[in-house]
Amino acid sequence: MYSRRSFLADLGMGFTGLALAAMLHRDGVVRAEDPSWPPPDGKPHFAPKAKSVIWFFMVGGVSHMESFDPKPALNKYAGKTIAETPYKDALSKSFLKDNLRIVVPNDANGKIRPKLYPLQVGYRKRGQSGIAISDWWPHLGECIDDLAIVRSMWTTDNNHGAQLQYHTGRHNLEGVFPTIGAWVHYGLGSLNENLPQFVVLGTPLADCCAGVNGHGADYLGPEHQGVLLKVDPKNPLLFASPGADKFREEQQAEFDLLGRLNRLSGIEYPDDASLRARIKSYELAFRMQSSLPEVFQFERETEATRRLYGLDQPATHHFGQVCLAARRLVERGVRFIQIFHGSNGGAGAWDAHSKLRANHSSLCRQVDQPIAALLKDLKRRGLLEETLVCWGTEFGRTPGAQGGDGRDHHPFGFSVWLAGGGIKGGIAHGATDELGFHAVEDRHYITDIHATVLHQLGLDSRRLNVPGRKRLEIEYGKPIRDILA
Amino acid sequence: MSRRTHLGFCAVLIVLPVLLPTGLHAKPAHKKALIEFFGPALPKNLHDCHTCHLPSQPGIDEGAKPHNVFGARLAALRKQFRKDGKNSDLISRLEAIAEEDSDGDGASNYLELLSGHCPGDPKDKPTAAEQTTAHQKLADFRARPREAYAWRPFEPVKRPAVPKVEQVEWQCNPIDAFLAAEHKRQGLQPQPEAPKPILLRRVYLDLIGLPPTAEELHAFLDDHSPHAYEKVVDRLLASPRYGERWGRHWMDVWRYADWAGYGAEVRDSQPHIWHWRDWIIESLNADKGYDRMVQEMLAADELAPGDVNAVRATGFLVRNWYKFNRNVWMERTVEHTAKAFLGITLNCARCHDHFFDPFTQKEFYAFRAIFEPEEIRTERIPGIADVKQDGIPRIYDAKADAPTYLFHRGDERNPDKSKVISPAVPAALGGSFEIKPVALPGAKPAMSTGRRLALARWITDRNNPLAARVAMNHIWLRHFGTGIVPTEFDFGRNGKPPSHPALLDWLAAEFMAHGWSMKYMHRLIVTSRAYRLDSHANPDSLARDRDNRYLWRMNTRRMEAEVVRDSLLYVAGQLDLTMGGPDIDQHHGLTSRRRSLYFRHAAEKQMEFLTLFDAASVTECYRRNVSIVPQQALALANSSLALEQSRLLARSLAQKVGTSDAANFVKAGFEQVLSRPPTAEETAACVQFLREQTALLANGQKLTASIGAPISRVPAAANPAQRARENLIHVLMNHNDFVTIR
Repeated sequence: MYSRRSFLADLGMGFTGLALAAMLHRDGVVRAEDPSWPPPDGKPHFAPKAKSVIWFFMVGGVSHMESFDPKPALNKYAGKTIAETPYKDALSKSFLKDNLRIVVPNDANGKIRPKLYPLQVGYRKRGQSGIAISDWWPHLGECIDDLAIVRSMWTTDNNHGAQLQYHTGRHNLEGVFPTIGAWVHYGLGSLNENLPQFVVLGTPLADCCAGVNGHGADYLGPEHQGVLLKVDPKNPLLFASPGADKFREEQQAEFDLLGRLNRLSGIEYPDDASLRARIKSYELAFRMQSSLPEVFQFERETEATRRLYGLDQPATHHFGQVCLAARRLVERGVRFIQIFHGSNGGAGAWDAHSKLRANHSSLCRQVDQPIAALLKDLKRRGLLEETLVCWGTEFGRTPGAQGGDGRDHHPFGFSVWLAGGGIKGGIAHGATDELGFHAVEDRHYITDIHATVLHQLGLDSRRLNVPGRKRLEIEYGKPIRDILA
Repeated sequence: MSRRTHLGFCAVLIVLPVLLPTGLHAKPAHKKALIEFFGPALPKNLHDCHTCHLPSQPGIDEGAKPHNVFGARLAALRKQFRKDGKNSDLISRLEAIAEEDSDGDGASNYLELLSGHCPGDPKDKPTAAEQTTAHQKLADFRARPREAYAWRPFEPVKRPAVPKVEQVEWQCNPIDAFLAAEHKRQGLQPQPEAPKPILLRRVYLDLIGLPPTAEELHAFLDDHSPHAYEKVVDRLLASPRYGERWGRHWMDVWRYADWAGYGAEVRDSQPHIWHWRDWIIESLNADKGYDRMVQEMLAADELAPGDVNAVRATGFLVRNWYKFNRNVWMERTVEHTAKAFLGITLNCARCHDHFFDPFTQKEFYAFRAIFEPEEIRTERIPGIADVKQDGIPRIYDAKADAPTYLFHRGDERNPDKSKVISPAVPAALGGSFEIKPVALPGAKPAMSTGRRLALARWITDRNNPLAARVAMNHIWLRHFGTGIVPTEFDFGRNGKPPSHPALLDWLAAEFMAHGWSMKYMHRLIVTSRAYRLDSHANPDSLARDRDNRYLWRMNTRRMEAEVVRDSLLYVAGQLDLTMGGPDIDQHHGLTSRRRSLYFRHAAEKQMEFLTLFDAASVTECYRRNVSIVPQQALALANSSLALEQSRLLARSLAQKVGTSDAANFVKAGFEQVLSRPPTAEETAACVQFLREQTALLANGQKLTASIGAPISRVPAAANPAQRARENLIHVLMNHNDFVTIR
């Protein structure tokens, strides 16, 4: 609960009714009434390696075997059942039970598919590190020496509730919790008071699988939720100006009065998180009027840069704009940029239960070049060192075939990668078994990614909490030390 | 903040709540069970793992924390109970060993639990004094009122007894008795009643979607008769604005959408479907029974053949029309008929039997068979020759013998043609489903199958377990901001359990007993003490029930998108109260003064202003999201709508109260825009603003224009003092209290 006094401290308002100083809590003002709990002061807990995070999420479940974890055994034993291979112990591993929070008997999807399905794409070793990734990721292959691929991820939901889980760290049946972006927003101060610090690009998750909770803040309060920005250079911001018959000074005075009146309400309703969020949203809105439209002026980029991101090609035009916007936002000090790809109003475009080859080859074509362009562009500008780029998806896909030409949901082992922001490049960490079935070496639950992100930002996930909201052990995760530079 | 915790999985998205007894995940559920069972009696330090488990030891995996003796005893009992066919849930086992002393330290398990000591650790035992206190606590705990109410949503509603409560002020309205009993059980102290201005604004926005004017506020403050509030409620329920306000709510649930498509090609829904919207509003205003409304929406053509007015209701089915694939149309119909009226996710049984609830895959297709014969046509309206110009899109049974086949794994490429599926309703919900063909003299075809009418009658039969419960839950949600069942469209096992199951059953019984009258139920609810509570927090209750699950205070809410826009126009006296008629082009949202629910609402045809404030999703919206983002601030600060209305209101207020007394103008502004008088500090801040802003505006040399051409059709006042007053009103329209319902 926020006390009356702390509300004032947070919002820079003294009892005299005069603003004390903007963002007092940034300067380490501790709520006097609750000495046991120091709220975040906007400063890192220890020296950070990264300033900003770009968080890619591919919606629907990307096949790890056809992306970042190639498994020649699938070709060798194609058409055989798992039980007929030397790796049949995959079917008796305790992970099958322990790894799943939920078991769905007789589900149409989310099953173990016994008959092995060969790799649908070739793969080759890339870069100096010689890490093999699939031929559907040729551009990203050029960046391999900057990537730390984690091939041993696991989650506990074998259905698309895993999308919510990937962002909150909690199984969807347990409810809604703050997402990683919200924790970052909660834990750290702003790098640019003129832009939202937690931005969402692309189409958010569908209501089936998380909806707005996929970038929500839940009990941290709405001021920490992600702000969706539409990447539309022609119409970058709705209602961006009151028009010429309102003077800037006139508007500034209006906003000042509004802030003052809303703070008076804050004395009346000190625990109203929505009021706090609204006050901050108005302050941000005022500054966004001038700061935001400029972000999407891609014509200010060189022709070469626009081509790098694939703005000149239909397949990559849209996602290229999103990635370019992400770089421009990072440059301007946006803290956390969450990018969705593949939202389709349902489970997600990557959910290749059938026709996996056509599905993944086409979707990779949309994202491979733009994501690689972002990495290259950040690097040449010296921004990659302080920008942590994470790429992920809710789960992998089954080594066995579903139907004739698809793969099913697979929570037992899958891949993500990280780059920049103090991450070691050119390494593949952890491993699945020969079939790509179970994560067997250096297993990581998804919150280990959260903890790694927080760690690179200088935050200890265990020190981020709110009184009265107990967090589970599993929510904190542990930083993946082996991939830190 | 949004709490859409429920994920409506089906088909490819299935999960089952089968908790495996893996150490890692069983604990939170057990902990929760302990907390729920003992409630406030359980000391805080015993919520933790070490109640049943040994402390962590190096080398032992966190996922396999071993039990202490108490935990081991519980675990052993599980096996034994299962073998004996007894209920083996944690609480049953716990109760069985309540008086045992598992760790042999001389204090029983319950005494240890209730005194904050570990029943599985012989070294940790209560002192003599603690034991005495714990004995008393145990006696109190044993004597506590038990929540023994069984929630059985798939069985017919039985009216539960109204709990007896001690406090006189919680006795008058049965709703209050149910809530007060729960307050006591949870140790919650409810808030007092809200101040009159807050309450008045709350009930106005709730019932008619518009705030009270300053005159209405004064009339209410001056009315000291005992039933002043009830009089207001009756007046609001009799207002035609009520049907518009609640019509929009039901349009969310019933998925109202205007036609969508590419260019002139209709792909979704139908042109002129606004006739259905008008039918909703008229029906609500006439307080048509909910049962009758459901019947007309599903089968007006069979229920009232030849009644052009009634057949508008079948827009509910017309809305599902989809040009490219009849299966999609049919599947949408099944899914949303089941979700809207029954609160079940029958759609999950399209590819396989339902994983959570007792619905088979065959029953999905049997439900579909009810709709299989239907087609759409546009009924001519007398006097209008061209149905393209206007007409009533409606449902009729075109092909009585159209077969329904089960699709193997839900795949339409794979129908099982060996067997035609007959129309039926899910057997698990009981009731009788009797199809009688309906003769339609003079119509073509001259017979209708009567399937939809049979469905409508089955749904609205008093023995249907779900119809009244689901409807009352939707109504409750919109009065209080949270539903009694948090998953409004899923009353099944994958949904979330109700906070007040007995209350919901009582409401459902009362609803049906009063002819399914919604106005009766609104009145009952808004005149309850619970509804009138203040929205402030008291620290003790907040600590116990942070999310206000047990309604010890009123939830603070944000206006829905339509209410924001309508209220902007209304407080300025500019809202055009014309009712009904064709959907208005969504691009005219900032210039037209009509109420928001009359604007076009379809895929890619939504008013941006409304979308920013979380307007209903076109595909489905059983509950609105609530976000707070800077784009909303810009919509209120920089839209021509807000600018114009602030200037117009400032003009009329200046005429009404004069300009000589700044404080007087401030008061008038607060009362008109925020429906409350300003505090002394607010008055001082605003008077100071008027003075300084006038001076600022009088000095043109210091001013720079904002970018872009002027957007407001109402120019700013030339007089600096008046312009400052416009600015003040504009600020009040942006005030948090404007969009907030307290």
